[in-house]
Amino acid sequence: MIVTIGSAAIRGCSFFILLLLSGVAGAHGVTEGDQGYIQEISGTNIIPFMYLGAKHMVTGYDHLLFLIGVIFFLYRLADIGIYVTLFAIGHSSTLILGVYFDIAANAYLIDAIIGLSVAYKALDNMGAYQRWFGVQPNTKIAVLVFGLFHGFGLATKMQEFEISREGLLANLIAFNVGVEIGQLLALSGILIVMSFWRRTASFYSQAYNANTLLLTAGFMLIGYQLVGYWIA
Amino acid sequence: MYKDNLPHQNDLPTSRQLAISTVVALVTATVLLVTVVLPAEYGIDPTGVGRALGLTQMGEIKVQLAEEAKIETAEIVELQEQPKEMSLISPQPVSPQPVQAPATESITVMLAPGEAAEVKLIMNKSARATYAWTVDTGHVNFDTHGDNAGIDYHNYSKGKAVSGDEGELIAAFDGSHGWFWRNRSNETVNVTLNVSGEFTAMKRVL
Repeated sequence: MIVTIGSAAIRGCSFFILLLLSGVAGAHGVTEGDQGYIQEISGTNIIPFMYLGAKHMVTGYDHLLFLIGVIFFLYRLADIGIYVTLFAIGHSSTLILGVYFDIAANAYLIDAIIGLSVAYKALDNMGAYQRWFGVQPNTKIAVLVFGLFHGFGLATKMQEFEISREGLLANLIAFNVGVEIGQLLALSGILIVMSFWRRTASFYSQAYNANTLLLTAGFMLIGYQLVGYWIA
Repeated sequence: MYKDNLPHQNDLPTSRQLAISTVVALVTATVLLVTVVLPAEYGIDPTGVGRALGLTQMGEIKVQLAEEAKIETAEIVELQEQPKEMSLISPQPVSPQPVQAPATESITVMLAPGEAAEVKLIMNKSARATYAWTVDTGHVNFDTHGDNAGIDYHNYSKGKAVSGDEGELIAAFDGSHGWFWRNRSNETVNVTLNVSGEFTAMKRVL
């Protein structure tokens, strides 16, 4: 089974992490937190950027919700590995390309699409597309394509950090490696919890309702981001 | 969904496997917390691993920024509670004033690694001052900006890891306008600033 790291790591770290979510501009232009730190440093800082990437993923609840949806009915390590790798390829490409070429994308719209990915996967898990349309869209392609949008979401957050161009590529790759590490940590935790659940007799009947909750969360994310887009 | 999604019993972990995984997770979490997260967020590094990774330095910078933000918020609250008093950062009395006679000033500021300083000129709106500053060694980050009792922060220019800057400052409003420098290099630096123009005073505010 999946070895190590995860749910307890999440529980242990989440308290501290939640306290320090991203940089908030203070008075007189003093920027705090991660954004403040990035604006102070220059050059290549591999391990700090790896840490920031991991932190981004572990605290990125919209990314995690999509991952939960993806692995919901995946039981074999090999299957999980395939889907997670596809997701990683998707978000890594757009993260690196988006930041390096400074591609402008509206953060609210991208985050709304990420919310859509959560809702999409929940409906997929509920068998909605087979029921309503008689089709089963290729799940691997869906994960890859939505992964591209998740990557743009990560990229827009990074662009807000105003990282200096000097050493950008190395820092970016380090950030990406960190994202994957964070993803592994989060996934391990999620899988440990889900494995406990899956062994119970009621997992199956609860699974449908759980995906309904996931769907609700997806819709809320879409609404939240779209409202943000309209009023910003 | 449905029938094809039921897990096979041999695909699921055994109770023993799950118990071991949970214990490993708890241990790993504690290790990561102590060696990575606490150093990176708070600069707390009991094992020294954080410093070797460069993460404790990140935490120290974050803590420093948080403290400075707190101090600045407190100063602003203080200013707001003293509406009539002149303070370092309040503007001169506003009235149509003739162009002031040009003043010339010079200051040298020493910054240890991590230290910051701020020097401001009291200027009226549209007043101009030419400036040039350099560092003797290392490099600094800078933020040329202005503020007054009603305006928190107005940016003119910013830069990172440079050894000097020069130009002309044209005050966007009555108030204090000048330079914030932070030394993020590894050596103590001396910043020398020369200004000449239409200002009534030069003060070091940080």
